[in-house]
Amino acid sequence: MPAAKQLEDSLFFAALHVTDPEQRRLFLDQACLDDPALRESVEQMLATHEDADRLIDRGRDAIALAAAEIRDFAGAVDLREQPDQQIGKRIGRYTILESLGEGGCGSVYLAEQREPVIRLVALKVIKLGMDTRRVIARFNAERQALAMMDHPNIARVLDAGATETGRPYFVLELVRGIRITEFCDTNRYDLRQRLELFIQICHAIQHAHQKGIIHRDIKPSNVLVAMHDGVPVPKVIDFGIAKAIEGRPADETLHTLNEQLLGTPAYMSPEQAQPGRLDVDTRSDVYSLGILLYELLTGRTPFDALELSKIGLDETRRILREREPQRPSALLAGLNAEALKAVAEERRTEPARLLSQVKGDLDWIVVKSLQKERARRYDTANGLAMDVRRFLHNEPILARPPGRLYLLRKLIRRQAGLFVAGTLVLLALTGGLAASTRLYFKAKRAEIRQSELREVAERSLANEGRMRKEAESREKIAEVVILLRQGDYEGAAKTLGSMENRPRQPSLDGSMVLRSVGEWLVLQERWQEASKCFLWLLEMNQLDSWGQVTLDIQACGVVLVENRDAALYRQFCKEAIAAHTSSTNGSGVIRVLKSCLLLPPDPELTALLEPLGKTSEAWYAKLPAHQRTEWGLIPLSLWHYRKGDYARVIELARPLAGSSAGPDALVPTVQAILAMALWHQGETDKARVTVARVRDAIDRHFAIPMRVGDRSRGFWYDWLFARILMREAALLTGEES
Amino acid sequence: MNDITLMLRLPGNSTELLAGVYGELRRLAAARMAQESAGQTLQATALVHEAWLQLVAEGDRTWENRAHFFGAASHAMRRILVDAARRKSRLKRGADCERVELAEVEIATAAPDDSVILINEALERLERDDPEQARIVVMKFFGGMTNEEVAASLGISERTVYRQWVCAKARLYRWVRQQESND
Repeated sequence: MPAAKQLEDSLFFAALHVTDPEQRRLFLDQACLDDPALRESVEQMLATHEDADRLIDRGRDAIALAAAEIRDFAGAVDLREQPDQQIGKRIGRYTILESLGEGGCGSVYLAEQREPVIRLVALKVIKLGMDTRRVIARFNAERQALAMMDHPNIARVLDAGATETGRPYFVLELVRGIRITEFCDTNRYDLRQRLELFIQICHAIQHAHQKGIIHRDIKPSNVLVAMHDGVPVPKVIDFGIAKAIEGRPADETLHTLNEQLLGTPAYMSPEQAQPGRLDVDTRSDVYSLGILLYELLTGRTPFDALELSKIGLDETRRILREREPQRPSALLAGLNAEALKAVAEERRTEPARLLSQVKGDLDWIVVKSLQKERARRYDTANGLAMDVRRFLHNEPILARPPGRLYLLRKLIRRQAGLFVAGTLVLLALTGGLAASTRLYFKAKRAEIRQSELREVAERSLANEGRMRKEAESREKIAEVVILLRQGDYEGAAKTLGSMENRPRQPSLDGSMVLRSVGEWLVLQERWQEASKCFLWLLEMNQLDSWGQVTLDIQACGVVLVENRDAALYRQFCKEAIAAHTSSTNGSGVIRVLKSCLLLPPDPELTALLEPLGKTSEAWYAKLPAHQRTEWGLIPLSLWHYRKGDYARVIELARPLAGSSAGPDALVPTVQAILAMALWHQGETDKARVTVARVRDAIDRHFAIPMRVGDRSRGFWYDWLFARILMREAALLTGEES
Repeated sequence: MNDITLMLRLPGNSTELLAGVYGELRRLAAARMAQESAGQTLQATALVHEAWLQLVAEGDRTWENRAHFFGAASHAMRRILVDAARRKSRLKRGADCERVELAEVEIATAAPDDSVILINEALERLERDDPEQARIVVMKFFGGMTNEEVAASLGISERTVYRQWVCAKARLYRWVRQQESND
């Protein structure tokens, strides 16, 4: 690219973001000192860039209208293959964008919702042949309970309704991931990694159980995994849907004729396969989890899915009820050498090693989960997770048969204190479940002849207080959104401040609200309230696998320092470091690194930061030359500065040493760090001059008030970052104003 | 796995991919128009979405593949749309000229189709001066891609995409104007 063009572009872009005409003139005076042609080009671009937008807009109109032209010349094309008729259609508030796939009970689409928030969702349209009215009634009966589920590994069910053709549909949180089994195999996850994922899934299911929701259809295609910041995040989808679409046929007398197995036989507990299917509880999910674990270990389900699909309903039931599944290790041992080698390779191990890993404890855990008699299974998903965890920690598991259990008891007696503590934890965890299970059975007796609504009504009553709080906080968030739209930031901040129950559920609305109100509070210099906002946002981010986490960390860091709360800032640093210490995403790590170096770190923090510093250095070294003088320079030079390598800082920052500040905070920030390094190297005069320049640029920036959401002069937190370092440099060099 | 999916997996195969996408987009557009009543417009992005669904097997619909695909589709869209705009513009003028005479076109009042042609002409010049910036324009203007999608497709930051796009727009317009006064 011609250098002249690059220069023009940079100047134009920079000048564009100096909105004040006088300031802009000054900027151009400085920048194009001896190059009138350059100045003319840039001014031309500035003068006409709005016209340019209009030209582009008109072009876009043409593109939108292009269909007619395309038809004119498309000529002889094959019209037999019709694209999916649903694409582009509207269903309720949702516009279908593309098909995501076909499932056993219907089709899933990617859809866009425009009101009240714009977002992408997954829309599941159930096949014809269901009683739509009843499906929706059943869904609505569970709706409140579903709304109460709040877990990072559970995809939310957002809405339900009927299409014009009368098919029921469900709107689900969009999860971009692949099924867990496929994910583990393609990434060649070893047993430990698989089990870690499995434990997370158990916890998600446990959370739902505690809210009184049973999944009823746990299988790999309902457990999707996506990588986020290098960390796999599993999400359980389709909660509440199995419940809604199953149930008794409208006419009870046709019961035995009409009935079909809903769900997937290979993952179905014996009691779920029985006629009537009334008698299903949380332990049915434990069974399905057991099958999932089986498949994660061996790559197969104990009862072959294909085989089950071929035999009749009665035969399927008989197998599920009577046939004892092979132990996972026995199944593996029975495979031919080639198949076993393939399974082992997908688990990054050798056949013999895989066999010995699975044999024993893992066998027992699976067997206990898959007991025909559900009283003999783990009582809770959590119990299953705890046993897997014990296995990973090389502790004795509970699923061992009596002989072993005896030894185990002895061991427990030796560590009596620990055992009591463990039991207390167990009680605390299962307490909530016991309450909802009791209610479930109580309600079920009434359900025999009455509506299922009753069950929910009773449960709702028991949970009324908690639910009201939850609903209140969601309403408040909605209220804040409206206030923000009206530009009433003061009111929005007040409403947020008055919230007693903070929803920790990540949501588009919630994060947006916190970012906007937080930014407004920053601009008002109301640091304490702002730091509350950003800490809350970070808390929400922990649960949100798709948030702009590291940017929010940057915002939070500067606000905490401005709030002069060193203890809180230190705590923040430790948590941010812990969350990113093993991240390999360089551009995220550098943001965390620089946010933790705003104040001189103590030796402990410095040690904790070491891995982040290493990652950043490696990342920086790989940057193309021109990017080494951009934002990556700040964390790098600050890191070296904090470690006392002043010569290195001066070397790194040299290219920007003489630059004048652009619209954003890059140059002043680098120069502030440079000034401090110079001072330490004894170049005190140079240091003072540099600090003065930095102060000048920063003062000029803050002289013009910023508006919320205005990015034209860079990000507000970058400027606060620069100002904090400038203060430190001024103190150090004695160059105070 | 179909051919397109294979192509997506093999980097450097974009010519073939482009040809495949181009054919499919035209086919889809025609099929789509046959179904829809007149007067309805077809959004560029909707078309690309459909091609994506048609061409790529479910298992391969990863975000990376998608970004790559949309990148290739933008180039195909450009050809389709510029062809269409030229055709329409020609029809209107009744002349048999290959290119729109720029002298005839007043930017301020240019018809939408002429804008497409003008932008495309300037874009050709940008392609010589700054190919990367030109690629971003193709994706955003013809492919209807968001900054995020462009960023993912080219492996650059969203901030860079935004910056390049703002600069490119101003520059393209300036060239369009210059050309107008030269003609």
